[in-house]
Amino acid sequence: MMGPVDPALRDALAKQFPDVFAAEGDLDPNGVVVPAELHVALAKTLKESFGFTLYVSVIATNFPTSDGETYEVATVLRNPTTAQPFWWRVRLGADPQLATLYPLFAGADWQEREQFDLLGVNFVDHPDMRRLMLSEDWEGFPLRKSYAIDTPHTPWR
Amino acid sequence: MNLRQRDRINPHLDLDTVDAAADLMALNMGPQHPSTHGVLRIKLFLDGEVIIKAVPYPGYLHRGVEKLCERLTCVQLTPIFDKHDYVAPMTNEQALNIALERMLGVEVPRRARYMRTILAELQRLASHLLWLGTFTLDIGGTIGGGASLMMYTFREREPILDVFEMLTGARFHYNTHQVGGNRHDIPDGWAAAVKTCMDQLAARMPEYEEQCVTNSVFLMRTKGIGVIETPLALELGLTGPNLRASGVDLDLRRDAPFHAYDEIKVNVAVSNGCDTHARFEVRIAEMYESIRIVRELIDNVPEGPICSLKPVRTVNQIKLPEGKQMYTAIETPRGELGTWLIGGGAEKGACPYRLKIRPPSLHAMAALPYALVGHTVSDVVAVLGSLDPIMGEVDR
Repeated sequence: MMGPVDPALRDALAKQFPDVFAAEGDLDPNGVVVPAELHVALAKTLKESFGFTLYVSVIATNFPTSDGETYEVATVLRNPTTAQPFWWRVRLGADPQLATLYPLFAGADWQEREQFDLLGVNFVDHPDMRRLMLSEDWEGFPLRKSYAIDTPHTPWR
Repeated sequence: MNLRQRDRINPHLDLDTVDAAADLMALNMGPQHPSTHGVLRIKLFLDGEVIIKAVPYPGYLHRGVEKLCERLTCVQLTPIFDKHDYVAPMTNEQALNIALERMLGVEVPRRARYMRTILAELQRLASHLLWLGTFTLDIGGTIGGGASLMMYTFREREPILDVFEMLTGARFHYNTHQVGGNRHDIPDGWAAAVKTCMDQLAARMPEYEEQCVTNSVFLMRTKGIGVIETPLALELGLTGPNLRASGVDLDLRRDAPFHAYDEIKVNVAVSNGCDTHARFEVRIAEMYESIRIVRELIDNVPEGPICSLKPVRTVNQIKLPEGKQMYTAIETPRGELGTWLIGGGAEKGACPYRLKIRPPSLHAMAALPYALVGHTVSDVVAVLGSLDPIMGEVDR
């Protein structure tokens, strides 16, 4: 559970990102939706000013809608002193591109590669955007909803 | 060139810029190397025997579990989760069921929470015993007393699997957790069997520890090897014993309690060594602590029901609400095992829409390009063994 967010943290975030965080009440338990251009700035603020130094995970999800594909990328950080996790989401369009967090968190290297591998979300300025799990000549992105689970593939040799 | 004196190792180092004239050798370690604890390939670029750059290639065990999770219902997922981390299946199925319970808002009866705590600690012991045996085998072989220690630790692990078998009927892949509680109640004589097993282990643990820490070969091969400094460990997302060996006092059992950990005291072992030996020390201390917790709880399991929901009859009796998503994490023997769960998938919500598993071992493997540089080829097995990865969990 994200649980109740520390009021000081919520106020500071509301001051710095007034369009994203409300000054009152709890944050969305599903994760606050943040515009893509604020993604890196928010991660930097959380890491440098609020002690969210533990990189936990990045999760991309494919949502096919009637007017095309959309993607959501959720990022989870944790404050190692209070053990409090914090996560937010970024919504992306049919051609998912998002700035990498690698300069801030070395762990984003592999995690973002995995999400690129399985969902085709391209992390811009990542130093090494290769597939992580699947072979390099794999076609398609298996965790997209349009990818059938029984899609045939040539055995890897 | 002293590679370890630079500020931060660059895992994407362009080798031509190091020294174009250097005669580097590229050596593939794995995927079939016996000490890679599964199938992992590490491509090493060597100057003589010193590692200049290490590039791990995971994925040989990738089974597409996250795709499969979108097709299976919540009830069918537990046995799949058993197979990720096949050295600690018990805690893996707990991670899944806690995620489902928190999303559905289901309470777990107190008796089941105590049982889960005992099972988690027994599993931690079994997992760490396997780690201790293979780790000492990797670095010592017969010289370091390693080979014989492996036989001992497997002997000690056996009674733990026996008590699991008494409870669940399976030595592995238990499928004993379900949403709302446990499936199998404690049988007669189980507490006595657990106590006997703990007494035996508690009596023998000091001997195993002594075999390692009084062995100069062991100390030379672990001290100062594979250093992961605190800021880097946090950035990489190391968790569990690996993070605590890098000096971060974070244990979800104490800091974000689940099961019955909010009712008991957990002493968290931390070391500031940051090296292979520190990771060894932390795990050994955790084993003593696990024995203590099991002994404390085994006589105090409260009476009552073991599951708050009706038993599983059909595969789609658990439905997840649409539009809800959340991250849940518990502390497994290897660290923070998290799940990002989105409800409202196929079969009218009985399947998750998306289930992302955050495996602690994958993050530990991401530390290899940093931890190996500047050391020799023989240190690779020591560093790899000390990070305790399970490839089934890394690749999923």
